[in-house]
Amino acid sequence: MSDAQPVEIPDAPSRGAAHAIPAVLALATAACGGGEGSEPAAAPSTPVATPTTSAITAEMRASRFLGHATNGATRADIDLVVDIGIDAWLDAQFLMDRTISHWDWMVASGYSDVSYRGLTSPWDYSIWRQLIEAEDQLRQRVALAMLDIFVVSIADLVKRWPSFQMGFYMDVLLDHAFGNFRDLLSKITRTRAMGDFLTYVGSAKENGTGEMPDENYAREIMQLFTLGLYQLNQDGTYVVDANGAYLSTYSEVDVTQLARVFTGFEVDTSLAAMDIELARADLVIDPTLNETGSATFLGSTVSGGGYAAVEAALDIIFAHPNVPPFFAKAMIRALVTSNPTPAYVARVADVFVDNGAGVRGDIKAVVRSVLTDAEALSDDNLELASFGRVRAPVQRFTNWARSFNASPANDLWQVPTLESRSQHLGQSPGHAPSVFNFFQPDYAPKHSSTSNAGLVAPEFQIADEVTAIVYVNFMLKVVSEGLASGLVGDYSDLEALAADPVALVDEIALRLAAGQLSQETLEAIRSAIASISETAVDYAQTRIKAAMIMVLVSPEYLIQR
Amino acid sequence: MTSILLNQSRRTFLRRTSQMALAGVAAAPLLSSLDLIRTASAATSTDYKALVCVFLHGGNDYANTIVPYDADNHTLYAMLRNKIAIGRSDLGATVLSPANDLEGRQYALNPALSSLAPQFAAGKMAVLLNVGTLIEPTTRTQYFNQTVQLPPKLFSHNSQQAYVATSNSDAGASGWGGRIGDFVQAYNSNPQLTCISAGQQSVFLSGDTVNPYCIGKTGAVDLLGGSSLLLGSADLHEALLQSMTAGDTNIFGGDYAALTSRSQDMAGTVNAALDSVPASQFPMFSASNAFIDQLRIIARMIAVSSELGAKRQVFFVGLGGWDMHSGLLARHEAMLGTLGGGLSAFQDALEQLGVAQQVTTFTASDFGRTLASNGDGSDHGWGGHQLIMGGAVNGGRIYGTPPKVGINTSDDVGSGRLIPTTSVDQYAATLARWFGVSDSDLPLLLPNLANFDRSTWNLGIV
Repeated sequence: MSDAQPVEIPDAPSRGAAHAIPAVLALATAACGGGEGSEPAAAPSTPVATPTTSAITAEMRASRFLGHATNGATRADIDLVVDIGIDAWLDAQFLMDRTISHWDWMVASGYSDVSYRGLTSPWDYSIWRQLIEAEDQLRQRVALAMLDIFVVSIADLVKRWPSFQMGFYMDVLLDHAFGNFRDLLSKITRTRAMGDFLTYVGSAKENGTGEMPDENYAREIMQLFTLGLYQLNQDGTYVVDANGAYLSTYSEVDVTQLARVFTGFEVDTSLAAMDIELARADLVIDPTLNETGSATFLGSTVSGGGYAAVEAALDIIFAHPNVPPFFAKAMIRALVTSNPTPAYVARVADVFVDNGAGVRGDIKAVVRSVLTDAEALSDDNLELASFGRVRAPVQRFTNWARSFNASPANDLWQVPTLESRSQHLGQSPGHAPSVFNFFQPDYAPKHSSTSNAGLVAPEFQIADEVTAIVYVNFMLKVVSEGLASGLVGDYSDLEALAADPVALVDEIALRLAAGQLSQETLEAIRSAIASISETAVDYAQTRIKAAMIMVLVSPEYLIQR
Repeated sequence: MTSILLNQSRRTFLRRTSQMALAGVAAAPLLSSLDLIRTASAATSTDYKALVCVFLHGGNDYANTIVPYDADNHTLYAMLRNKIAIGRSDLGATVLSPANDLEGRQYALNPALSSLAPQFAAGKMAVLLNVGTLIEPTTRTQYFNQTVQLPPKLFSHNSQQAYVATSNSDAGASGWGGRIGDFVQAYNSNPQLTCISAGQQSVFLSGDTVNPYCIGKTGAVDLLGGSSLLLGSADLHEALLQSMTAGDTNIFGGDYAALTSRSQDMAGTVNAALDSVPASQFPMFSASNAFIDQLRIIARMIAVSSELGAKRQVFFVGLGGWDMHSGLLARHEAMLGTLGGGLSAFQDALEQLGVAQQVTTFTASDFGRTLASNGDGSDHGWGGHQLIMGGAVNGGRIYGTPPKVGINTSDDVGSGRLIPTTSVDQYAATLARWFGVSDSDLPLLLPNLANFDRSTWNLGIV
């Protein structure tokens, strides 16, 4: 897919009226071949015409795309994408500057006061705020996906301005979300957050007493951030030898050798230990603890120590042929579908190798490739049983918040971590239990149709008998009352639709689920909310909330397609 | 360049299948009703047994858990550990006096495990030295000459966690806790309560047929707190249920709906039983942490096992935070304090319930760590030491082979990463045998076990 290829949203019945199309009529249109679009060039090559699927409108396609590209579709975003098309929307997002960094916002909000020095809560406030409210939604979504790859958890950071360490780390991801992968590696390696999280701060060269350099970062930067355990083809499938065996990407010796490079790292001792600036100052390398001898790994050798050796080592990793398919597959899984075809992975990986201008590692080009690939946009895939991904709990929460205008009690945005699996989401940004994140990319639930079909569903790792029900209970509270700490939805724009259950349910299903609910589910919800009499007190709000929670707990929403 | 021996998995499968063919049973399902009956015949109608796996996620540092105490070995240990060594004088109160002869070797518990010293002294706890993932007996020479089959991806967290839990390198392999469950689920009137995790789900509990169940820290989670109304309406409540479990042609959607249904199906039964044993009846769980929460609900589930028709259960408790590449001394002390306090409270609860003889609790971890310090912590290793507790345990003894303390010893593959001298399969077989799996079924449960001398299958710990 070339960057220049325009992606149009086929036109639909006029905006605003679309949600009012009676279901019967919509079905009839679908049965005629899904050809409601007035731009046949972009219409699906195979008509989608199953009895359970409504006609796919331009609004639905826009919402579906926004589900991939943002933390939740708003009515305004849907209208905009329908108006200008996906490419123009992407162009605008790529050009959009960040409104404010996490760091600056936390300072401006008073969280740099010494009373917050040991607290992790300002991070929660700032990250929820940006995920939900920021205009640069594409950047926010991509950077959050990157935090699921380049994991740092605030739980393990030194309690000296951890919110600012984490906030700065997230700023690095956000600032590089449309930048170059190689620069990103360099930047994250220099952060206090990563240095403490993967413990190379304080790692010293071998000193003859048997003490060895810390191997943590050396191992995980290869296993989890860039290469993976086994050699990959460009399409993300494993390379196998004549016996069908996978081939290791690196050996234990490679880890031990690379660990020599990540020695001597220290926080900048020219600053006071409690200085907030240490949360964003580049780590420094203490020459007395830094290995200056050679390190040979992945078949290459670096030597000389200092940041020069670090950069040379990162060059070697970056040049490895696993990096393009590894990153391509991870981003596709985070944004679009858990089991992409090898061809899709290869198309994205090819863009990683060369963005069309000879540049390797252009994340912006990779993002565009992921989001505009035919496999991401195809109407046909909506009917493909193996397509899609389980929406992560954090995503479900931000989906609700964005789609229904949730706002905080005040500008301090005191929305807490929601990681509790017994009360909340069982997941919260920046609170991963370890560098292996909340879920691993190859996870498949046992005894499931997923594993029987040889598929993976990473987000299922945190879905179990407990979290599945806690989620429903929590979201009902969120939908009906908002968070106790003050994040409350504003449903006033839906009240006008409350008298028309079809229109109301369609609008809610459009924003949350891109209209992908089956007719059966839609009709069940419509008829249930119609049972709330128009004479009942607060009938409009009750209908709205009931429809909202029913969509939010439906598997047809929970699986993003 | 090493490669994962996929053909090994195939061989394992073939061996397993052919063993079953020899036993006259069909290859699928892997564990036939014949196996179940053979194992089930050992049980009586009144008995109960439970295995409780406490998994220390992240790779526990063996050398500071069970510390070399005899003067010579402590000196070697302290030299290699430097800043992360525990001084010999700090270990005096927790020195272990095992009933068996260790030929001069002495060990002490980390002082943070002091609450377990009385359990060891009373014969209720045993230590197993240097156990880890192996496919077959392995020597240092074989390891470096690559003339031995090795578990794939030694030293990698997720790979080794999975291998400890499954003892099988196949993608999608079942866990051995779950496979034990496969053998015994026929005892239980509700097979779904055979394998239960008190934390997140774990492959350990997932058998070839048994599907594990996750329980919350205070029991099953009631939808809408048990209310039959949604926003004041029964109709809406009905529609909510329908929405949650709506059939979906999408594979993941179908699985999600099935999960929700499973949870809903069990919640009422489980919570009705648990109501008879409120948490307040377990004052020994006085500490407040996620480990205690898990142990408390397991104790309560054991307390109502007969009400729930369960005679054989395998439980899983996950405790994270053991990956201590830095700050090891202080962090390890805190984690071991949690571990020791929890385990001893759990044993107290079992004794109060009168089931101490019927429940065996054991630890496992991704891997052991390096003996050599990396300055302030230790790195990923291989073999490590584990604890086994319970009334049926032949406790007050130290099992396994004391590893040589040092670098480049015959037990070491670098920096004090121990080559295990006991395999996870032998450890598992010992526990499974106590649980009631027959000797002849052990190789079905643990395909690699056949690679070890039959006389070593039962370590005699329990």
